[in-house]
Amino acid sequence: MVLEALEREGVEYIFGYPGGANLPLYQHLPEHPRLKHILVRHEQGAAHMADGYARARGKPGVVFATSGPGALNLVTGLCTAYMDSVPMIAITGQVNSTQVGRDAFQESDVIGATSSVTKHSYLVTRIDQLPRVIHEAFHIATTGRPGPVLIDICKDVQQAEANRVVPDYVEIPGYKLNGHVNLDQAREAARALAGAERPVILAGHGVLLSHAERELMQLAEAAAAPVGTTLLGIGAFPVKHPLSLHMTGFMGTGWCLKAVQNADVLMMVGMRVDDRVTAKLSEFAPNVKTFIHVDIDEAEMGKNVRSHIELVADARLALEAMLPHLGKVDAGRAEWLGQIDRWREEHPLRYKQSNGRLQPQDVLIDMYRRARSEAIVVADVGQNQIWAALWWNYDRPGLFINSGGSGTMGFALPAALGAKFGRPDLPVWCVAGEGGFVMTAQELSVAVEHQLDVKIVLLNNFSLGMVRQFQDDFYGGIRSQVDLTHMPDFVKLCEAYGLPALRVEKFEDIAPSFDAAERTKGPFLIDFRIDPEANVYPIVPLGKGLNEFREAPEYA
Amino acid sequence: MPDIKLVPPHPAGTRPTSPASGEVNKIRVLSVLVEDGQNTLTKVSGVLRRRGFHVRGISIGPSRQPGRSRITLQIDHGHAEADQVRKQLERLVEVIEVEDLTGDDVHSRELVVATVAASELNGLLERGAKVLSTGPGGTTVEFSGERQEVGDFVDELTRHGIVDVVRSGPVVMRRTA
Ligand SMILES: Cc1ncc(C[n+]2csc(CCOP(=O)(O)OP(=O)(O)O)c2C)c(N)n1
Ligand SMILES: [Mg+2]
Repeated sequence: MVLEALEREGVEYIFGYPGGANLPLYQHLPEHPRLKHILVRHEQGAAHMADGYARARGKPGVVFATSGPGALNLVTGLCTAYMDSVPMIAITGQVNSTQVGRDAFQESDVIGATSSVTKHSYLVTRIDQLPRVIHEAFHIATTGRPGPVLIDICKDVQQAEANRVVPDYVEIPGYKLNGHVNLDQAREAARALAGAERPVILAGHGVLLSHAERELMQLAEAAAAPVGTTLLGIGAFPVKHPLSLHMTGFMGTGWCLKAVQNADVLMMVGMRVDDRVTAKLSEFAPNVKTFIHVDIDEAEMGKNVRSHIELVADARLALEAMLPHLGKVDAGRAEWLGQIDRWREEHPLRYKQSNGRLQPQDVLIDMYRRARSEAIVVADVGQNQIWAALWWNYDRPGLFINSGGSGTMGFALPAALGAKFGRPDLPVWCVAGEGGFVMTAQELSVAVEHQLDVKIVLLNNFSLGMVRQFQDDFYGGIRSQVDLTHMPDFVKLCEAYGLPALRVEKFEDIAPSFDAAERTKGPFLIDFRIDPEANVYPIVPLGKGLNEFREAPEYA
Repeated sequence: MPDIKLVPPHPAGTRPTSPASGEVNKIRVLSVLVEDGQNTLTKVSGVLRRRGFHVRGISIGPSRQPGRSRITLQIDHGHAEADQVRKQLERLVEVIEVEDLTGDDVHSRELVVATVAASELNGLLERGAKVLSTGPGGTTVEFSGERQEVGDFVDELTRHGIVDVVRSGPVVMRRTA
């Protein structure tokens, strides 16, 4: 019954792991060859794979796990998807409905444990609930602000036979969808933006989720307003566009931060305005006279910054509604854009190129040269993530995937594999630090088993680099528990898993190693032994305002 | 179409204060219509806890619509923006609607049932208490009123030697025009 419903919802892949409480599902799985099941090596891997699949494919990722430990292993993956508004359906087995609440073997309160990291969840104790629940779950996961939905199904329900009354529509009274635009507010917002002396637009993940890139471009050009993106909004606006500010936030570009801090009108579209974007809240955008916030989730309004104009709507519809009302653009605009150009020249992205050690930026620049704008890059968390975000001129949406809101180490490998399942037509590159990589490295087996053409770029700095940098710069220079010199020989590790790998220590070997990776079909790993002292810049010290960003010391 | 919210409850351009700061003793009342279900209470209380909202009083009972209940919440305004509570609760699929019933144009009632040792009950009866039962263990009375009246009533009870006392949460309804 469950499997038929999944087929009806158009599911292609299930990322899962069997166990006592979901055995009935697995018993019938072979009868459904259209549902391709990927056996992961850890349930967290399944959740991240489904997440990567969903982000790359634009369809909800589906996960199976058994009760108790199986379901609880999903929690980090659910949270990652929840924080980044990724549609996902997690189907977990639960003990028999007659045993619920009696501490049966492998029973756990999965709903309780996951309710804060899911958009919605269901405990199914009766077969007649099932068709409606599955249909609703897909609807909720994919509409409005997307997110993961968990369905906890008692084992006896999985086994039950029932006549299939499948609802062909959903009616969920408590589910509120904010799609429509208040036209008065849209007009107001357009006028404020056009009439601003120093406008800035910031674009978040919501722009990508609602496919509003074109409208964003039209609006930015018509209003002559510069655009920065959040980490998750990368790709929403081409970095090489003259109006681009590249990335904002506490590790954003210097010229973007200057623009935000000097803006008089700040429009924030499809974003949560979290602390990584604002840094010290009381010093965020201090010169703004009019904040405009566009988001589909009403609860984001005023959560961190109370805006003057709040547009609770789908980003594309909101921007579209604003377009006709821009009117005349303020005369001071040329001066403002000129000022931004000067900041761009004064605060470029820079790195140390010639200290004899391998620089991560050199590795990434070569990788991106090959990836161009036709490959998906999935980054892990840490320094590697920010380097991967900053050192490429993303000019199309959907090419950069990473765990932004949750910052989950270990995300990249399984998510890259999921992305490859979702988009086999696109090259997929996985960028990871060695610390995060070993958190989910067991999924290499999946890459090998399915001969997934994913190239893994390990930026190996023998340390928890991002933490090391924070300790060096903000915690008295005391390096505490960040040393990762005792790690496996990654080339041998890959050999054991059955995939080819190379180690690179010199600049000259970067290009040949990538050549080898590209020549090889199937998974390939390159262990880049990078400068262990390489840092991420610019960076705003923790607790400080965006104004106080620090640049690479050798250039400051 | 609602009006443009140019004067939101929290001045625009400001950043809401952290949950711990702000005015205390400002109570807001929210009436939350929910879908009955195993998870509803957990979800509602989960949101309140997670977002740092402090609950002063709560009551739950069936609503006029079958399968739905009404939760009345008294929350400390000082612990967070009441507006945020409403929005966060409305995100829950189990929540049908949330209405802010803070203010004067509402009926707000609470019930107290108490057993007192004294047989002299005039002070209580004058306030409108009703005797439910009497026995060797004491006299049991009930009283209902606004939060403040119920508080005063409980103060009065102490003078009669309280054996036991229970208070309900609030039930609040908008006055008809
Ligand atoms: C699961 C998890 N644990 C801890 C952290 C905190 N953390 C953030 S970055 C980082 C260091 C990551 O090290 P590595 O994977 O080697 O990447 P690098 O920063 O060196 O590029 C840590 C420990 C996290 N984000 N996720
Ligand atoms: Mg590292």
